[in-house]
Amino acid sequence: MSPPPIAAQGLGKRFRREWGLRGLTLEIPSGAIVGLAGPNGAGKSTLLALATGLLAPTEGTISVLGRDPLRSAGVLAKVGYVAQGAPLYRSFSVAETIEFARRTNAGWEDEAATDLLTRIDSKTKVGSLSEGDRARLALALVLGKRPQLVLLDEPFASLDPLAGRELLQLLMDGVAETAATVVVASHVVADIERVCDHIVLLTAGGVRLEGNVEQLLDSHRLLTGPRRPLGSIRGVREIVRERHSGRQLTMLAVIDGPIVDPSWTVERVSLEELLLAYMAPERLPTARPPEKVPLRWHG
Amino acid sequence: MRDVIEFHLDPRSGVATYLQIVQQVKEALRLGTLDVGDQLPTVREVVADLAINPNTVAKAYRDLEREGLVVARQGRGTFVASTLAPASLRHHDELRAALERWLGSALAAGLDEESIRALISATLRESLARNVA
Amino acid sequence: MAWVTWRQHRSQTVAEAGLLLALAAAAFGTRLPIQAAFHRDSLSACLPPAARSGCDIIVPHFEGEFAGWVTAARVLAVLPVLAGLFVGAPLLARELEQGTHRFAWTQGITRRRWLLSKTAFLAAATLLAGAIASAVVMWWRGPFDTLEGRIGPSSFDVEGLVVPAYALYALALGVLAGLVFRRTVAAMTSTLVAFAATRFLVLEFVRPHFLTPLHRVVAATDTAQAGDWVLSNTLVDGGGRQITAAREDLAVLHATQAGIDPHTYILTLGWKRLISYQPAGRFWTFQLFEAGLFVALSALIVVVMLWLVRRRPA
Repeated sequence: MSPPPIAAQGLGKRFRREWGLRGLTLEIPSGAIVGLAGPNGAGKSTLLALATGLLAPTEGTISVLGRDPLRSAGVLAKVGYVAQGAPLYRSFSVAETIEFARRTNAGWEDEAATDLLTRIDSKTKVGSLSEGDRARLALALVLGKRPQLVLLDEPFASLDPLAGRELLQLLMDGVAETAATVVVASHVVADIERVCDHIVLLTAGGVRLEGNVEQLLDSHRLLTGPRRPLGSIRGVREIVRERHSGRQLTMLAVIDGPIVDPSWTVERVSLEELLLAYMAPERLPTARPPEKVPLRWHG
Repeated sequence: MRDVIEFHLDPRSGVATYLQIVQQVKEALRLGTLDVGDQLPTVREVVADLAINPNTVAKAYRDLEREGLVVARQGRGTFVASTLAPASLRHHDELRAALERWLGSALAAGLDEESIRALISATLRESLARNVA
Repeated sequence: MAWVTWRQHRSQTVAEAGLLLALAAAAFGTRLPIQAAFHRDSLSACLPPAARSGCDIIVPHFEGEFAGWVTAARVLAVLPVLAGLFVGAPLLARELEQGTHRFAWTQGITRRRWLLSKTAFLAAATLLAGAIASAVVMWWRGPFDTLEGRIGPSSFDVEGLVVPAYALYALALGVLAGLVFRRTVAAMTSTLVAFAATRFLVLEFVRPHFLTPLHRVVAATDTAQAGDWVLSNTLVDGGGRQITAAREDLAVLHATQAGIDPHTYILTLGWKRLISYQPAGRFWTFQLFEAGLFVALSALIVVVMLWLVRRRPA
């Protein structure tokens, strides 16, 4: 059994007075494409920085590919990381940046990197690249390491939709054959919904929700119906969020069986809606307007 | 023989991505656009085109292989192994013509695309349920 | 890491080389008239301890002729700290300021090795540059040093082994400051302050005691001997007690009132001068001590910095 790509136990990080993360216990499954979601300030960047040894934990432990990132340089050669904003040396040319990576990473494979850069003149200074090209370069620097783990912190933040889609294509192509584990931190769920098979939702420094995307979507439903006092509802294991408006009651629930009560309209939710419900208690996705020919699903 | 099929993804359909791929392959098999011996696009090609999770494509191909429709050849790719209900191809032209006539009536009656889809889905579901019950 | 260090510091290296070249060119250009004057005035006959009559006139004349250049050359004492300000301080401060450490420190090389490699290469370059600057200045000051000796601070500080040692120390200080303050300007300021403070403290309190100072008693009217580094020069009475300024003023007053030349009067009082000094011959020994001290300090700073860089990640 190979060690999990990331395993954290009671992980906490304090910055002066405030805790950025606290009591975080988490294991990322190998080979998964993981979406690290959560509002700004939830601790996503902190978690990734702890995973790369850029920060030291205040309490608890974190291990990456079975090793301590603070002590092992060998691990960093196998972890591809792009910080928020993709920091690079602006006065270096593209070719020189690749050279830097080549010389500081054992196991570097040129082709994996240069394949992504055919459209860019290698003598261009990094500072004069467009945002999209900079993102490509940052990804090339990651893929050239043939990493076992890829960590991207808000890679789509300053990209237009086309550049963002291209980045995603390159990323997926780059990891398709190596079965690398990928963790993408993004506060915009839609950017990563397409590719994630595993999701970790952080809020206020802790894990709010975590699991396989398919299983999560299968186990949650949006129930809408006339307002009534709630006892236990057959099929509902747990109510995540509920909202009353006028005579209507809407709730997001974890289900463990079919909802047989016909007074409920039962719908699946999208990943984005699910995460929003867990993130912000006041913001519950409203039921979708009825279609012209109403369809009734039961679970 | 690479571009025999191009997948498209409808993220809003509520249908899992891997299922969409499976369905599209089956559809192509039924329509005859995919034949025995044709090579399906590699995982890398699909992923580079659609920007989806490689595990998803792999899962779809595995499902198809389990159903005996495709076979994966180590290092060479995934190839179509058998077609689906070839006999029904015979009726395709008649059925298609009938469908076009019906669609003409529906449009003339004032239904829009969504209503037509909804009607077809509902009727299909109910009649299948009746057939099974 | 050699390539990485070169690529990130090549413009600094070029500037350094340019500076040294300018220094050498200036030295060459100005040396010729100095050499010519030295021979013209036959100053070689005035080298201490020989004191030909008339030397006490032509030596000051010679020194006065080139006083401007000599004073300008004093500015070269500032050269070593430039290594700290412009090479050392930005090293870490700029990476941290601009966030590029998030790129550099997440490659397959430990932070310690990265820092140690860079510092080692830059230290070697700094030592070389310091040695060249020192050699140029020593050569240029040759005629003056033969007349005045080198052990006094105005020549000691810009010649010999100490110059590369100071530069190394300044470099180390700068890098540490960059790590501690994380901002280039703050790092530069603190480097300057720390360097100046260290140099001052060593000069005032440590260097005079590398070896026990020698003492000499001379007639009260004798002038200081050229070539040695005089640490203190006090009037003492016949019993060896130091004479305060008040007592000295009183004696001069008596003499003036009595119409006697004050110097002659002081001689008749039996007063002498007690000079404590470091002899010229100790120049290289002292150079070794002081250079060694600064190199040891640099090594200490490097150890602290390597410990700190792992403990205080970004």
